[in-house]
Amino acid sequence: MLQYLVILLDDTSVSFCHYDVTKPERRLISLDDLRQGIRFGMMENLMIQFIYPDYALPQEYLDVIDTIDHSNIKPLSALDCETDIVVVDGWKYNVAKLNGAVVVLRTSWNQLSKNHNNLKGLLNVVMRLSVVITDVERMTASDHEQYKAVLELLGKDVESICLSGKSPQFNLLTDRLMLTEMNNCGAGDMTITLAPNGKFYICPAFYYENEADSVGDLNNGLNIKNRQLYSLDHAPICRKCDAWQCRRCVWLNRKTTLEVNIPSREQCVAAHLERNTSRQLMLSLRSKGTFLPDIEEIKEIDYLDPFEIIRQ
Amino acid sequence: MSETDIKIKDSTASWQDGVAKTITFIVTKDCQLACKYCYLVGKNEKERMSWDVAKRAIDYILDHERDFPEKSVIFEFIGGEPFLEIDLIDRICDYIKVELYSRCHHWFDSYRFSFSTNGINYHTDKVQAFINKNISHLSIGITIDGTQRKHDLNRVWKGVEERGSYLDVVRNIPLWLQQFPEEATKVTISSADIPYIKESVLHLYGLGIHAVNINVVFENVWKDGDDKLFENQLMLLADDIIDGGYYKDYACSFFSENIGKPLDPERENNNWCGAGKMLAVDAAGNFYPCTRFAAYSLRSKEPIVIGNVSDGIDKNKLRPFLALDRITQSPDKCKTCNVASGCAWCQGENYDAAETNTIYQRATAICLMHKARVHANNYYWNKLYRKLEMDGRSTKCEG
Repeated sequence: MLQYLVILLDDTSVSFCHYDVTKPERRLISLDDLRQGIRFGMMENLMIQFIYPDYALPQEYLDVIDTIDHSNIKPLSALDCETDIVVVDGWKYNVAKLNGAVVVLRTSWNQLSKNHNNLKGLLNVVMRLSVVITDVERMTASDHEQYKAVLELLGKDVESICLSGKSPQFNLLTDRLMLTEMNNCGAGDMTITLAPNGKFYICPAFYYENEADSVGDLNNGLNIKNRQLYSLDHAPICRKCDAWQCRRCVWLNRKTTLEVNIPSREQCVAAHLERNTSRQLMLSLRSKGTFLPDIEEIKEIDYLDPFEIIRQ
Repeated sequence: MSETDIKIKDSTASWQDGVAKTITFIVTKDCQLACKYCYLVGKNEKERMSWDVAKRAIDYILDHERDFPEKSVIFEFIGGEPFLEIDLIDRICDYIKVELYSRCHHWFDSYRFSFSTNGINYHTDKVQAFINKNISHLSIGITIDGTQRKHDLNRVWKGVEERGSYLDVVRNIPLWLQQFPEEATKVTISSADIPYIKESVLHLYGLGIHAVNINVVFENVWKDGDDKLFENQLMLLADDIIDGGYYKDYACSFFSENIGKPLDPERENNNWCGAGKMLAVDAAGNFYPCTRFAAYSLRSKEPIVIGNVSDGIDKNKLRPFLALDRITQSPDKCKTCNVASGCAWCQGENYDAAETNTIYQRATAICLMHKARVHANNYYWNKLYRKLEMDGRSTKCEG
């Protein structure tokens, strides 16, 4: 069931996920489409998330946005007191400026492998940190080996922060500790995107990849063909999987396997390395005292790709 | 009469069924015929496989033995009409044999070369020389659709629509059966063929073909009332097979004891189609999960290329095929269908007919035809078993 509506306010709105913003020219959504989009969200009872560009919007736009309860996702350059989620693209940021913020940090794997030591400082001050590896689909077997080692180091950082009395939220390692079922991106199933051209897309990535790939518009409503394929019960690999923190990116799925409901091996392995390190973190914290006593222990498994289970 | 006396010819299982990898060489997209029901929409005379592409495909496959763990292999040659490229095929097969031997490959002596041919060139010297050289490792099926009027209705010469090919094929049937007495023929039924089903199957039996593998096309070609006509034809055929005693020595794949039952959503959830478990390569050196995903087979979709002879196979592109199951791709009416078993689908047709670019939407154009088949099939087995029971009683009384 749909729960969220993402509204891209401009073609240059910041990317908060795996995709790159491929439209360099500003194109602000029309005021009329913005109003209609908000109206659509209200009628469908959707939580609206506005995605901002790096320039200030006209006041009339801000007035319209304020007609509905919403979340604001903004680039670091536009960070202000109205920002709910701030997107940091790369590793140039002022830690103090991010104090108490909910942060999405976009990075390539290469940069993460070089800069991961900086994350402890960030985790100490932010409310929540989500790291998005923008080229996760291109990670090789040796990258995965290295990623495992990086996660183990980050796990130790998270553990020491926990032991200092804080409760860090870090998508790669603490989300899995709290979850009891799949909690993924939900594009096409729980979330839909309205683009500046007034058309709906499965997520912003589908818009930037191919503008003709819309799934409806404001005049005619949504028309998502084969909609069932975006739900977990129609994802034969994912429904057998317990890496519940996985982003399960349907855009990456389609890019790598040509099907929105089938993830690549690279996405699965990365998610399982995170899951397994989360397990180690849970066991280590529990060995030192009571930690999430009501949450079931994460089981030990002998695979990194659930595709192997269904092949058996 | 004891149970062991009851003789019912079963449809012949294919060689190493379930344990063999099928690797298909699309050696040409040309054919002498232009069959009206042919799903190959992009046939042409230009796309002929070169020796270089064929060799690179074989080298890739044999170099990656661990990626092909199946116990046996069937190298299949299709077209168009494969025997148009008999020189290339002969060279490919010789190369495969030498390479399997010299590499001590696990497929050595566990391989077959398989052909589905229109039969027109079957008698030629080159084809016969090839057959004689490889006969212990060969499987060849000749397609003949039945009586001349049924065969010539669809299987016509390219560019000469009024010229049917029956006479050009039937002359080679005795030689074929002499060389491959257990082989089956493949018959395809489209809407216009329905009135000729009974006469055609019996005609093929009369030619000495003991196994007729017959199926309706998966494409959405059916007209209102076709299912009733089809059911009627199959009932008439059932009567003749049973009354004439053909069931003892002849098989027709329309009749099977295992079809027409509900399927358990968990225990009986396998995919029907083998796309992805097989591998096809075309003249350009592209790999496909099955020939049906090559451009010349698709009406409305882009081909699904899973690699090529230079870069190898992209295993991520195979995952959707290998993860397929019955329930995930089926609409609700199929999930709850009371006669689901035996209802087939073609993954390529599913993809071609789907509303989006997915292999996960099952096409159901044959739904009514399957149900008609189930009715006739039930009739067939009820009638046959009653006959066998009555024959047994009379034997006992005589005893």
